[in-house]
Amino acid sequence: MEKISVQDVTFTYGSEGADVSAPAEPALENISLEIDKGSYTAILGANGSGKSTLAKLIDIIEVPDSGRIVIFGQDTSDDALFWQIREKSACVFQNPDNQIVGTIVEEDVAFGPENLGIKLPELRERVDQAMKDVGIYELRLREASGLSGGQKQKLAIAGALAMRPDILILDEATAMLDPRSRDEFLAVAEDMRLKKGLTLITITHDMSEVMRCEKVIVLSKGRKAAEGTPSQIFADISLEQYGLRRPVSIRFAYEIARLAGTSLTAEDLTGEARLREKLVKILSDPDLNRNPDIPEAKENFRSKSSGRKIMSVKDLFSTYDGGKTFALKNINLDVYEGEILGIVGESGCGKTTLISHMNSILKPSSGDIEIYPVDGITLRCSQKKDVPRIRQTVGLVFQYPEYQLFEETVYKDICYGLRKMKLSAEEQKERAVRAARAVGLDKDILRRNPFELSGGQKRRAAMAGVLAMSPKILVLDEPASGLDPAGREEMFALIKSLRELGTTVIIVSHNMDEAAAYCDRICCIRDGENKVTETPDSLFGDREKTARIGIDQPKITKFTNLLKADLKKLMPQTDFGKPLFDPEEEARSVYRAVLKARLEDVK
Amino acid sequence: MLSDISLGRYYKVDSLLHRTDPRVKALLYLVYLVVIFMIKSPEAIGALAAVIGVQVFMAKVSLSVIWKTVRPVLPLSIFILILNLLTISQGEILFQWKIITITDYGVARAVLMAIRLIFLILSTSLLLTLTTTPLKIAEALESLFSPLKLIKVPVHEMAMMMSIALRFIPTLIEETDKIMKAQVSRGADYDTGSFLNRVKGYITVLIPLFVSSFRRAEELAVAMDARCYRGGGGRTKLNPLKLTATDVLTGLFLTVCAAGLVVMDLSLR
Repeated sequence: MEKISVQDVTFTYGSEGADVSAPAEPALENISLEIDKGSYTAILGANGSGKSTLAKLIDIIEVPDSGRIVIFGQDTSDDALFWQIREKSACVFQNPDNQIVGTIVEEDVAFGPENLGIKLPELRERVDQAMKDVGIYELRLREASGLSGGQKQKLAIAGALAMRPDILILDEATAMLDPRSRDEFLAVAEDMRLKKGLTLITITHDMSEVMRCEKVIVLSKGRKAAEGTPSQIFADISLEQYGLRRPVSIRFAYEIARLAGTSLTAEDLTGEARLREKLVKILSDPDLNRNPDIPEAKENFRSKSSGRKIMSVKDLFSTYDGGKTFALKNINLDVYEGEILGIVGESGCGKTTLISHMNSILKPSSGDIEIYPVDGITLRCSQKKDVPRIRQTVGLVFQYPEYQLFEETVYKDICYGLRKMKLSAEEQKERAVRAARAVGLDKDILRRNPFELSGGQKRRAAMAGVLAMSPKILVLDEPASGLDPAGREEMFALIKSLRELGTTVIIVSHNMDEAAAYCDRICCIRDGENKVTETPDSLFGDREKTARIGIDQPKITKFTNLLKADLKKLMPQTDFGKPLFDPEEEARSVYRAVLKARLEDVK
Repeated sequence: MLSDISLGRYYKVDSLLHRTDPRVKALLYLVYLVVIFMIKSPEAIGALAAVIGVQVFMAKVSLSVIWKTVRPVLPLSIFILILNLLTISQGEILFQWKIITITDYGVARAVLMAIRLIFLILSTSLLLTLTTTPLKIAEALESLFSPLKLIKVPVHEMAMMMSIALRFIPTLIEETDKIMKAQVSRGADYDTGSFLNRVKGYITVLIPLFVSSFRRAEELAVAMDARCYRGGGGRTKLNPLKLTATDVLTGLFLTVCAAGLVVMDLSLR
């Protein structure tokens, strides 16, 4: 059978890499693996584990220092075969903007086959076919820069398909997409795999994507840590040590199994239906463990709010295109001191526009936002004199804030806003140090150049720059985007700790699981309108409601809803109560409910 | 904030000028460049304005777009006007106060320079940026300069670099906007304060913009590599340039107009 075969490959980024000063550690070390033709493989690993490097080696964008890579029988070290091999594989990368070469959609799709020297009319046929395959044919004469993120990624896939490759590599290609665009994108890729016999390799942090694959390869610090089917990987390997997490449904199942004192096999994990069947079996067992080891409930971090209103959005309308198009329509929203408020919605629904108004960067076309920093004081975004105070009261951290660092030391960067506030040098220093501590940065990092820091540290440094201004309200636009699972957890732990310090936090997100797990209330924006603002359990607990509003349910809720329905059939008297969104806590809650129902049954 | 600048922005509409072969447009642009800087007489300038009006009609570009194109250069144009008014001392004195001397020749010259600048922007937009996609411009240059390949000038590579630069203008404008908004939310103020302070303010915008441009360049290079880009040799074209009869007619018509303007100007001197 034809294979991609990587044999004992080591690779180190040479002096042309970005960071020359650091000692050159190999990005990949003694990697050996095989991928079958036509298979669907996921490569997992924390940020910096060498995943993308592996993809580049397979696409021979980089050449290994030692070892061999043989693609369908052709050795990549053979110079004569170089272009022949490279033509076989195509990549879709993470950032849609940085892989579009052509201005017009069809010109960009044609870029690859033009490079291959494909002549008309075949060239035209390939381009049209590729655009039809991914469903962007109607957009063919549009300007590429005006497309949405999801459309741009589909364009990137079309550009890859037009080259008629045998291998398609998705290098975190869905990381910047919202759930709906992500599903559409994957459906296209998987469809192409089946129709055209593509070998699909996906590099991702999204565990639900991994469940759809046939094979998983886990990388850690440049080495292969594990390899197997998704169910084997999720059953046997403790992924936490590699900075990864199991899918929520599997975390839930393992907690149930632990409480019941039984174990799960890889077989049980081969699909969600299978998994539910097993869980029903465990929970309906007459000898169900009656004394489970349920750890004390985590301190309930919710509802720390004093109940005092701190911000009020009133009948806010916002337009762009010189007043022709509404970005926001009649938004009303109250924010209470000390809460974590989530703002969710698809890309382009107006979330970012809304938070820009909160900081008075955009001016409402009608309506207003009032901010009450302390009792008796009202700041209005429409009042020009209030704007400087609003900007100090409401701190705004945009998406990927690390791309906005500019000073030569972290300390100076954090102090930027403080200098603009014209504070004394001592005051600046005190506040900067405090802000750095709040985001978990060491004191000696303050002296370093921000461009030397790791991605996660850069983001923290950028957040410290906003925190140093001591905002009462902190607004974060997709604070966890681009981070690996461990990084995401750290980020949300940080956000919780900021709230402990008394900050009101507003988080913009399209990840429903995280919004549900960490926010006190959730505001759903759709087409520029505030559809509903509610607590996560009342919002996501009701499937009809979420369907009506047109938002996705968290993955854990989707899974447990089906499970609960199955259990109800067997034990109709069970009262599951409110849904929880932490997989382990939800497992304990379900277990308790089942146990209670069974005990009552016995009586 | 910055999205109003139309340089490099293609205005999508189907028109005669949009369909015209970009090589014809590039050559016409050169012709009109010469014309704009050659003619001096008010009558010829008026006639040139009329010809540009015809071009607007041929390009089916709305007047609001024209206004958006011209507006950003108006301050510069006025600056040139005033500078010329104050520095030219030849000719008959019309007005004198202390060191300020304004002459009739100065006025004529100043108005001419200001108008030239505006015509220059209009021609660039109408013949090139508004009606031609960046890739087409690059293709035209590549095709026109292709004889230079014989003396080893990397014509294709230069054209590719140019088209990528143009393609990234909207992306970088968006990015600049984001950076400025983030800094405004931290208390930056680009519009007040001394000139020096304002310049300093923009430096804090330029640094992250440069850093991110490098990152983009690196990622784009990898993406182009992955799509088997290997320079100009052996490349084909989805929409190869084809000279049609309409293109020739359009080119001839506008060239005759240009020639007419020059003859008119010379005869009026």
